[in-house]
Amino acid sequence: MSKVTEKFVDINSMNLKKGELVKEVEELCGENLFGCYQCGTCSAGCPFVDDMDLSPDEVIRYVILDRKEVLNSKTIWLCAACYTCAERCPRNINITKIMEALRQIILRKNIDRTLLTKIAKEEKETIPQLAFVCLFRKNVG
Amino acid sequence: MPLKSYNKKMDHDLGIPLQDDYFYDEPEEIIENKTMPEIESTIKLISERAKKGEKRKIDADVLIIGAGISGMQAALDVADKGYKVVIIDKTSTIGGAMVKLDKTFPTNDCSICTAAPKMVELSRHPNINLITYADVNSLEGKPGDFKVNIWRKSKYVDPDKCTGCDDCAEVCPVNVVNPFDEKLSTRKAIYIEFPQAVPIVYTIDYENCIGCGYCDRVCEPEAITFLEKSEEIEVNAGAVIVATGFEVFEPTEMRKEYGYGKYDNVITALQFERLLSSFGPTEGKVLRPSDAKLPKSIGWIQCVGSRSEQLGFPYCSRVCCMYATKEASIAKEANPEIDITIYYMDIRAYGKDFQQYYDHARDLGVKYVRGRPSSVYENPDKSITIKYKDTLTGKIEESTVDMLVLSTAIMPNKDNKRVGKALGIEVDENGFFKQDSLLTDPIQSSKKGIFLAGCIQGPKDIPDSVSMASGAAAKAIAPIKDRPKNIGKDFPPERDVSNEKPRIGVFICHCGKNIANYLDVEKLTEETKKLPNVEFCDHMMFVCSEDSCKKIKETAQEKGLNRIIVAACSPRTHGGLFQDTLMEAGLNKYLFEMANIRNHCSWVHSDNWDAATKKAMDLVRSSVAKARHLQALSEEEFSIYPKTLIIGGGVSGMKAALALADMGIKSIILEKESKLGGRLKNLHSMFPSDTKAEDVINPMIKKIRGNKKITVMTDSELSELEGYIGNYKGKVKQKGKKKEIEFGTIIVATGFKEIDLKGKYQYGKNTNILTQTELETKLKNNELKEPKNVVFINCAGAMDEERPYCCRVGCGVSIKNAKLISQKYPKSKIYLLYRDMRVFGKEEEEYYADVLKNYHVTAIRYPGDNKPEVILDKKDPKNGPFEIKVYDDILNEEMTLPADLIVLTANTEGGAETEKLKNMLKVPVDSAGFFIETHAKIKPLDFSTSGVYMCGAAHYPKNLVDSIAQAEGAASRAAIPISQEKMKGEGIVSEVVEDKCRGCATCVEACAYSAIDLVPYSKDSTRMVAKVNRALCKGCGSCAAACLNSAIEQKGYDSKQINVMIAALLEEETAK
Amino acid sequence: MKLLYYPGCTLKTSAKNLEKSAFAIIEKLGHEVEEMEDWNCCGVASSLTDDDLMHHLAPLRNLIHVQDQGEEKIVTLCDMCYNTLKQTNLRMKEKPDDLETLNLFMDRENDYKGTVKVLHFLEFLRDEIGFNALKKMVKNPLKGMKIMPYYGCMLLRPREVAIDDAEEPTILKDVLKTLGAEVIDNPFKIECCGSYHTIEEKKLVSDRAHRISKFAVERGSDAIVLSCPLCRFNLDVRGKEAEKLYNNYKQVPVYYYTQLIAVALGLDPKNCGFDNHAVDPILLLKKKGVFEKKED
Repeated sequence: MSKVTEKFVDINSMNLKKGELVKEVEELCGENLFGCYQCGTCSAGCPFVDDMDLSPDEVIRYVILDRKEVLNSKTIWLCAACYTCAERCPRNINITKIMEALRQIILRKNIDRTLLTKIAKEEKETIPQLAFVCLFRKNVG
Repeated sequence: MPLKSYNKKMDHDLGIPLQDDYFYDEPEEIIENKTMPEIESTIKLISERAKKGEKRKIDADVLIIGAGISGMQAALDVADKGYKVVIIDKTSTIGGAMVKLDKTFPTNDCSICTAAPKMVELSRHPNINLITYADVNSLEGKPGDFKVNIWRKSKYVDPDKCTGCDDCAEVCPVNVVNPFDEKLSTRKAIYIEFPQAVPIVYTIDYENCIGCGYCDRVCEPEAITFLEKSEEIEVNAGAVIVATGFEVFEPTEMRKEYGYGKYDNVITALQFERLLSSFGPTEGKVLRPSDAKLPKSIGWIQCVGSRSEQLGFPYCSRVCCMYATKEASIAKEANPEIDITIYYMDIRAYGKDFQQYYDHARDLGVKYVRGRPSSVYENPDKSITIKYKDTLTGKIEESTVDMLVLSTAIMPNKDNKRVGKALGIEVDENGFFKQDSLLTDPIQSSKKGIFLAGCIQGPKDIPDSVSMASGAAAKAIAPIKDRPKNIGKDFPPERDVSNEKPRIGVFICHCGKNIANYLDVEKLTEETKKLPNVEFCDHMMFVCSEDSCKKIKETAQEKGLNRIIVAACSPRTHGGLFQDTLMEAGLNKYLFEMANIRNHCSWVHSDNWDAATKKAMDLVRSSVAKARHLQALSEEEFSIYPKTLIIGGGVSGMKAALALADMGIKSIILEKESKLGGRLKNLHSMFPSDTKAEDVINPMIKKIRGNKKITVMTDSELSELEGYIGNYKGKVKQKGKKKEIEFGTIIVATGFKEIDLKGKYQYGKNTNILTQTELETKLKNNELKEPKNVVFINCAGAMDEERPYCCRVGCGVSIKNAKLISQKYPKSKIYLLYRDMRVFGKEEEEYYADVLKNYHVTAIRYPGDNKPEVILDKKDPKNGPFEIKVYDDILNEEMTLPADLIVLTANTEGGAETEKLKNMLKVPVDSAGFFIETHAKIKPLDFSTSGVYMCGAAHYPKNLVDSIAQAEGAASRAAIPISQEKMKGEGIVSEVVEDKCRGCATCVEACAYSAIDLVPYSKDSTRMVAKVNRALCKGCGSCAAACLNSAIEQKGYDSKQINVMIAALLEEETAK
Repeated sequence: MKLLYYPGCTLKTSAKNLEKSAFAIIEKLGHEVEEMEDWNCCGVASSLTDDDLMHHLAPLRNLIHVQDQGEEKIVTLCDMCYNTLKQTNLRMKEKPDDLETLNLFMDRENDYKGTVKVLHFLEFLRDEIGFNALKKMVKNPLKGMKIMPYYGCMLLRPREVAIDDAEEPTILKDVLKTLGAEVIDNPFKIECCGSYHTIEEKKLVSDRAHRISKFAVERGSDAIVLSCPLCRFNLDVRGKEAEKLYNNYKQVPVYYYTQLIAVALGLDPKNCGFDNHAVDPILLLKKKGVFEKKED
């Protein structure tokens, strides 16, 4: 029973063989996910956890268990890379980088999360410019 | 909460003589203003000493650095064998960290009550020279001949004159943050650390003293000597034991997210311990620091600084789960209305009775939440909100508590590096002292002749520290074993009081608040004074403290007392101490009686002041009645056969034999199998390392075979045993033959075995379902086929209704074996199903983390009430693959894992021969078949039957390191009677009134110790009468009770004494 | 002293007031500021995947240009620029192989030698000017103003590039004390404001702003001080929008520390660009009488 209900990407199109998800993530982010004790520190401190379908520790768990639907999780897109989890993790796991790795798996398949055309002109004029650069860096491949 | 940084000050406590002349700049003027008759002579003394340029030299056999519970145990173990000990401590007292604790887990024994008798014993021991307020500066020489320079700081108080009256501290105008109370209180610049401090001598804290001289003016015995100099002392010793203990992590630089030092109501667990303590800042009341009110809710956060690869220490601190459980239980029991939650990652209730203790806490209503909080914040009402994820429900929560306790890490002493440099021994990457070989020689430091005890090489609980300390004592004897010994205490000659009329002295104890808070000790004292023959009665804070004992002795001599009664706690723990005091006063030690007004009265009637007071008066009156009839008793002296029998030839037994041999003591190892080595023979390698089991045992076996002091008897079993401590005779069955052996002491090292799983998890029904031992044997013999999916199931048959305990070693073994399979077959996928990951202490935790990371083991936590299920293949149940259904506690969902190998971590129980040995040795065994020690905390290696000791897994399953430390400790314990060569028996024994005896032999049957025989009557040889062997008689009284003709009297408890006690108890108002 | 300054996109557009007020302070302090030549976008979000060197190019190019101008220090005003430049700088120092790869790749640029130091303007004030020196120059102390310092993420995390303690930073608190304001502590001072989600997840960011500000208001603060242009936008603009989502909620004004310093130093308020705020920042300053408190 999965907590991920969204269907953003077709997991089968990700070309990940059995057991390859964790390898791919570890290669991209350089972190060892198996070192996680599932203590929940990252999740408790995450400012966006209330809106997430999977809490950050569950994302790690899903990856370890080779549950590829983690790629459809809202969580990976909600993470704004504030590094709070990485700062406090007793296991010295940089969860921020794990989230980026999961985003990259999708973005590198040329699938964009954000459609530039959907942003209104008024917003482009009022919202600080760096927010756009940041958004594109995170959500556009 | 005063949180002034004390560290700066502490650095000055290291004994660096930088500021020693502090008082020389100005004191002349201050001193001149006062009339100090002794100035001249003091100046003369100092100048004379300085002129000669001499430093004091002390010759000793063993030097012990640090006088906490480990140092004290090591000192007593060495000194009891007749060797001279110098023991030093950095602080002005002894007792270390243990005396700061309120109670100890898992027995809830009062900590100071168990430590104080040891402290007093140490200070009185004729072979021990105690130097407090001192530290080690340098060491040179080699084992057997070390020269160690000690810097003893001046206390500026003459120890011979100080009476510990506290007058000086009362007038001292300086308040200093009190490190003993973990900064929760202040003390004066002239102070003792705590009321039971040993020695009870005040100390001037020169850094904070303003030199006002008030203390000097009020000190009646004129003990303040501003001119007393600190000194360098050279100690010549053959061996050194380092036992300088640990520090507790203060989260002010790291882990600031928990608000310690910022928010008033966030405290460390050690601070909470001081709040619980009867002589702490709140006198035992749980009050929150911000407003001194009872908190309605308290939270504990575990692993603050522990198990942290960043911002902390990588190891597990080993004791925090249990001390938090203890603190929570005590707080909850005293104040059931407090809501208590402990936030944890794994509850490591690994030791003997720990799991049951944890279960009990939950029954009390202590809540445990699995989730490590991310941060906390303070609310305007000073309460603390904790942000956490309850990882078992998956919910992100905020919870507000009135007080937050941080279970902070045990960390190495900051001073370790300096001490290590001074002694020439190495520290590890964390700052703990390095062991020569973690696995096979955990007590040996990196330098020969210097040994490690207690928490200095990693976090440890009290019994493990005490065992290791005894082990260090054994190792330290080796280089000095041939030196002359000095046995026994010299007491003044006994005064014959048989013709005196009873003159009774009664000393009533407050036991801190344990007694005085629940009954009226003043009234009790006044009423007691009125009783006939009572010449003296007084009440004291702690009668067991050193100054109180001194007072008993002085009063006895001054007032010519000839019977002493102490109304306090139990004679079981404190009787011996007071009997020593009697002997020092020149009285026979049996002219002593204890009234237990604590355990039997204040503790059980804590809710009824008047009734408790009345009962205490009854108890004291009855003791007085008995005391009038007390008589001096004599003790039998007997010799000790200088050889130890070791039952069990596993690692523990072998290590014990080697340690004994190093001390020059012969031993016999009895092994039931044909080879030495025990369980390790069938194991592949030893957790927490990759060392092969055979590499551990083979060198040991070789050493044993080559050691002339050790006799090995394989294929042998003890079939009969008679005798008593010092004089045992046993019959050994060896390959059908019977051999007789003689020995003085016995060490039980019979190990443990895996339980019969009785078909749990389909065990026995499929060839690919193995226990850990079966797996290891397969690995060892290279018989394991490559598995695709391996599932380890931990806690098989553990922590359930049938066996409520944790096996202590299972988690570690499963981790190690997971690694072994993964190393051999890297393609195998390994799942580890566990309940709590109990890899405790240093090394184990790091090993676990390493295996998870580098061997990609998937750990799945399952709930105790929803155990995994093994489903066999329908077509090929016997050899086919299977499926495991497991409920994943973290994701809250059921998973099905395919597997072709299941490894069950079976629970453990006592060895097969336990039942037989239990009866033969007359020693107790618990329901799991493990032997029961005398005291779970401070006597973990002794049986209550003297002369019999235990070590290794016979006591409880333990890993190799702990087993070896225990084995060497048991060797030390078993060597004490042998070193003493002679021993004294009990004075309280049964005596047959031969005229009355009919020779019916009822008593012979009743005696559990085979101490009674029928012999011909001296006046009429045709008649048989009973005769008691005084050396064997334990004074249990069974025979006296069984005798149909009242022909047996038990000395010390004879019919008359008992009758008057009963009469006095029933008397309403004797005093009138 | 001449400061070489890296502006970044936002300082030239929606956060002109941050730049202007900072420049006014620098001038008042008797120093010069010079905008570096030929700067480009920093990339805003530092590269988080190990194999991704591409996104270090932009910050690295800026560092090379600082080096080319013969300077050792580059001062930033934007927290995100600071963080990105510093993380790249750190990676180049820690992984010389990566630096070599990038140096080879950028054949039109000089090789980076790794000598440039990236400074945030707050660090410059603390370490080179000193808050004591600053205090002596205060003419309009912010007496009676209760202000919560808000740090956000980029000044403090990751720890390797932090300008202060990651859990208990004090630098903004010290600025406020220097200026004579009362500091209100807030545990949310280090929590993310919602960042770029302000584009696609407006409500989410309003929720963040509400939670952070509400806590401050409950503890008595009447304003927030911060340093990052995006944090300012989110707390100020999205915070204002939160008034519609939460009953009885009123967003307090949000200031850049440079604006408050400028006001306290008695500089012309025109330098502060107060007109660019969603919640009127002048009203409070007037209410507290800050402008009238000239002490000289």
